Amino acid sequence: MAATAQNSRNTNVPTKPGVKDMVSAEEWQVRTDLAALYRLVASEGMTDLAATHISARVPGPEDHFLINPYGLMYEEVTASNLVKVDLNGDKVMESPFPVNPAGFTIHSAVHMARPDVACVVHTHTAAGMAFASVETEILPLSQTSMQFWGRTGYHAWEGISTDLDERERIVEDLGTNRAMILHNHGLLVAGPTIPASWVLIFQLERTCKTQLQAMAAAKAMGTELILVPDDVAESTAKGFDQTMQNAAEGKTTFDWQAHLDAMDMLDDSYRH
Amino acid sequence: MPATAVETVDSLKGKVPDDEWQARVELAAFYRLVAKHNWDDLVGTHISARIPGHHDQFLINPYGLLFDEITASSLVKVDMEGNVLQETNYPVNAAGFTIHSSVLKGRDDVVSVAHTHTVAGMALSAVEGTLRPVHQKALRFYNALSYHGYEGIADDPDECARLQRDLGSNDAMVLENHGLLTCGRSIRSTWALLYNLEKCCQVQIALEASGGEIIELSDEVKDSTYAIFQRSLQSNSTGSKLDGWESSLRLLVKEDPSFMH
Repeated sequence: MAATAQNSRNTNVPTKPGVKDMVSAEEWQVRTDLAALYRLVASEGMTDLAATHISARVPGPEDHFLINPYGLMYEEVTASNLVKVDLNGDKVMESPFPVNPAGFTIHSAVHMARPDVACVVHTHTAAGMAFASVETEILPLSQTSMQFWGRTGYHAWEGISTDLDERERIVEDLGTNRAMILHNHGLLVAGPTIPASWVLIFQLERTCKTQLQAMAAAKAMGTELILVPDDVAESTAKGFDQTMQNAAEGKTTFDWQAHLDAMDMLDDSYRH
Repeated sequence: MPATAVETVDSLKGKVPDDEWQARVELAAFYRLVAKHNWDDLVGTHISARIPGHHDQFLINPYGLLFDEITASSLVKVDMEGNVLQETNYPVNAAGFTIHSSVLKGRDDVVSVAHTHTVAGMALSAVEGTLRPVHQKALRFYNALSYHGYEGIADDPDECARLQRDLGSNDAMVLENHGLLTCGRSIRSTWALLYNLEKCCQVQIALEASGGEIIELSDEVKDSTYAIFQRSLQSNSTGSKLDGWESSLRLLVKEDPSFMH
């Protein structure tokens, strides 16, 4: 569906005019999709005021990335106000908007080590932080959770640090997984495309909520959790591996266009 | 737009000093943000802010309006004795006044006070024990969260001294069997404190209920994180970019600008 001006309810959103003409068509597409992802995460209540970040790799060999302008709520992120940075979090394109280099450390660690990753999402949701503070792992309790079963890394929290050494430990703990529990801190997903990362963070959030509630119910009822046998969980997880592979090869974009269409009807300012 | 209550109050813009008008707009925005998160309790609970330049006067909500009806002009100016200092058709709630005036009288550094009755806040306030310093957000309140025992509806002026004593020099307090309270050096920092304390309660309820073993942090991580928060508080005592305040105000304008009336 074509974006129309009357859907731009967010007329006072801070943008950077002219960016569309200064970047490649591929970069503009990534900017549009990433801005849409910020809006989707906000609409699901997975934000933490203006803290936390979602980053995406800019197509091309330069190791450039897009990240949110520091201080804006996710509902105000647009294609043009995303800031282009290098692996150090330094701006590589002039922008009136500041970046939070400390917040980019986790992201740059993942992007450095995993060129297969297009987009990294990190959240501080209540369920995510609660799950991350419990001595547990993702259990094969539901079809939703099984996509993360054996596909999730766990990283111990080292405090608020700009210690770049931590990047090595983040990379080691993430390994080849598509998700990571940041202990005592929050959640992280690393997908092969922006739509894939959206699906992953949506499902990981639901996985954490579900497991916490199942644990609480089992405790209250004095019963045990029903765990799917390992071979069944593994074959289910492998199905999700294939889905992610399909996404990487451009064979699926999940229901991305439907999300964009729904957003365009309400507020298409993310495209600006 | 909830028009009725908004339209029956004459605008005070231009009739009060600019800095008071700004405080009114920001405080009205705070009420709307709390409503947006469903942290309101019908017409109960209050958020207050001092009048700039008038240390012994503050703004509080017109009792009887829902949070998403509150506007800059309908906020009521009162003094520390509860005298209403402007024309208004709305009363001020005595119990709410007691809690807010106690904090403002006892703490010269505080500009704004917020109090809620959320499910997570009330639930945690009804459980023995303290906020666990087990994640980044909770460490903001590590060794810095006060607790006040419930004494019934807070309309007893004698409770004032006990509220002040229990709060001490902290900027957040659990009102046991009751709810949450935060008090910051600006309206926006009080909002950020409330947001973070609410989230901490949500986390802890989920964490405790799960029955899982909790991953404890080392003293070193706890102390260093708390120290970072303290340094940040000193350099950004009235707000930081992390709170997204200007952005939140623009979003409120977009959704329903009536709070600025």
